[in-house]
Amino acid sequence: MKTRWEYVLLPSFLIVGLLIVASQYVFLKGSFFKDLGLGRISDTASMVNYLRFFTDSFYLHTLWVTVKTSGLAALFTLTLGFPVAYLIARMQSKWSMILLAGIVVATFVTIVIKVFGLIIIFSADGLVNQALMGLGIVDTPYTIIGNQTGVVVGLMHFTLGFGVLLLYSVIQTIPRSLEDAAQIHGASRWRMHLRVLFPLSLPGVTVGVLMIFNMCMGAFTSAALLGGGRVFTLPVLIQRTVMMEIKYSMAGTLAAVLLVTVLLINLLSIYLIRRLRSARLVIA
Amino acid sequence: MKLKRTGLILKSAALSVGILTASSGVAGQFDGVTLRVATWGGSWKENMVQAIVPKFEALGGKIEFVTGSPQANLAKLIAARGKAPFDVMETLDAQEKEFFGTNELIQKIDLSQLTNKEYLDDWQYNDWRVASWSTQEVICYNREKFAELGLPAPTTYKDLANEKLAGRVVIPDITSGGGFANFGAIAYAAGGNEQNVGPGLEVIKNLNSLKFWSRGGEVVTQFESGDVYAAVVHAGWCLRARKAGSPVDTVQPVITGTSHVGVGKYGWLVIPKHSKVPEAASWFINEYQEPEFQMLYAVKSGVVPTNRKSISQLASDPIFAEMLELDPAKIGNQLKIDYQKADTSDWIDQWNRSVSQ
Repeated sequence: MKTRWEYVLLPSFLIVGLLIVASQYVFLKGSFFKDLGLGRISDTASMVNYLRFFTDSFYLHTLWVTVKTSGLAALFTLTLGFPVAYLIARMQSKWSMILLAGIVVATFVTIVIKVFGLIIIFSADGLVNQALMGLGIVDTPYTIIGNQTGVVVGLMHFTLGFGVLLLYSVIQTIPRSLEDAAQIHGASRWRMHLRVLFPLSLPGVTVGVLMIFNMCMGAFTSAALLGGGRVFTLPVLIQRTVMMEIKYSMAGTLAAVLLVTVLLINLLSIYLIRRLRSARLVIA
Repeated sequence: MKLKRTGLILKSAALSVGILTASSGVAGQFDGVTLRVATWGGSWKENMVQAIVPKFEALGGKIEFVTGSPQANLAKLIAARGKAPFDVMETLDAQEKEFFGTNELIQKIDLSQLTNKEYLDDWQYNDWRVASWSTQEVICYNREKFAELGLPAPTTYKDLANEKLAGRVVIPDITSGGGFANFGAIAYAAGGNEQNVGPGLEVIKNLNSLKFWSRGGEVVTQFESGDVYAAVVHAGWCLRARKAGSPVDTVQPVITGTSHVGVGKYGWLVIPKHSKVPEAASWFINEYQEPEFQMLYAVKSGVVPTNRKSISQLASDPIFAEMLELDPAKIGNQLKIDYQKADTSDWIDQWNRSVSQ
């Protein structure tokens, strides 16, 4: 008798369906009704919340800030994380496991503690500002609280360890012998990276960057603590709309826009990467 | 001047003993009754656990706590639709419209059980609500840093806009506990009012503040770390910063263009409409007004008692007398925002648009 292994998927499918799809459905449905105050919503469906979102510069600006800070954080995480992941993946000593374990442990630290660590380091009398002022680079303390730079730094701090682990697993799948072969045939190290490592790692790196980007788009703590009440990303605005204004429908609309934006950016990125790869194959 | 912590601890312990020995009610009065109380966490809840819970248990009942901000608890109450998720709730004056405009969400309190009303002023209680405490929203500043910068003690919000203080001032986010009271006061001091908060937003833009705080504890930490030289915050947090070792003083802000000096924010106790144990809830509200409990609250949380007897007791403590306004006449002259005139939803909207980067 043939074993139906696909049934193993059923429990996970049901749990995901219940926890994610059902909760999203409640929010999505609610987003099509008008808020009447005190958490009550109208009985008649309408597009009033969506109309407000897409015609109000404040909401559009918030969406832009969310995408911008998440995109920058994902790019900087890739830039910083890739060399680290590459070195660890290619390291042949016991240090590779020690470093990897260190990164894994670092990802266990809760984001609240990580962010407070940043706040202490960047405080007026903190390590960074003392060094910057001691070297004469700045006259007055530099702060990362209450500005978008701080939020990007916080998001990177949130995702960097995770990013290195993702990129490490991607690089591990590329045989080292290919790099050696390219260099034996005269390719410089830089050219080998550009023509061998980059194309081969591109699908994995794309997925990794998208995962980091998605995490940033939904991140609340870094944006709330480092934004200092000035940087409104969509998750921050959703929290304020639910908890302070008690406008569940508008919050549902913001959540729906966030969800759809993330989905669209992911699909578009995958489409573009596929186009890029097929174009490269044709050229080759 | 450093706070004498040992003295305060002894005072708290003595108060607790006094509270536990002064119980009202008859043994078995609340047999099998579970009273659910919606309040903040931290010291707020701990005070009740220490002082009220044992007395209620002695009468046969049990108290459970639902912790969260009044906004979060209001959301729970509304979401419960026809049920009461708790039996007594701490609310803020900023929620006046939601609770007291139509009284849709609450039921009447049995005032015959409110024997402690003798310590309250008439405006502090009616059929629907009883005042629980007040906070004094002040300017808390580091006197040593101000002296270093050659600045006199601030008296108005505009004094915080001095360029020497750029990036060294924090004010509450509108979503924080004191957000509405302070935003309203800043608007008043700038020539605005409940219906016109625009002038206040201009002042806030010019303050060049480091951030907008959402938890009072952040302010204490930032005074300690040296990041902040001045904060708009309730006096209780300034008191805690002093306890933590920061050289801070309080100033009751002059509300320019009015006769008010200082800003008061009030807490209220209400009974949700569908509570099935209103008698126990009324008992709880009365216990809250006990002078000893009010004093405990003041000592531990830095709030001002509503109870006249406790206020005069608190005035005998030099630190409290220095950092809080305890003269009843002057308390009466503090600015109280009229939330019936305010559209707080619009305030939030205007605030978000103004401060967003």
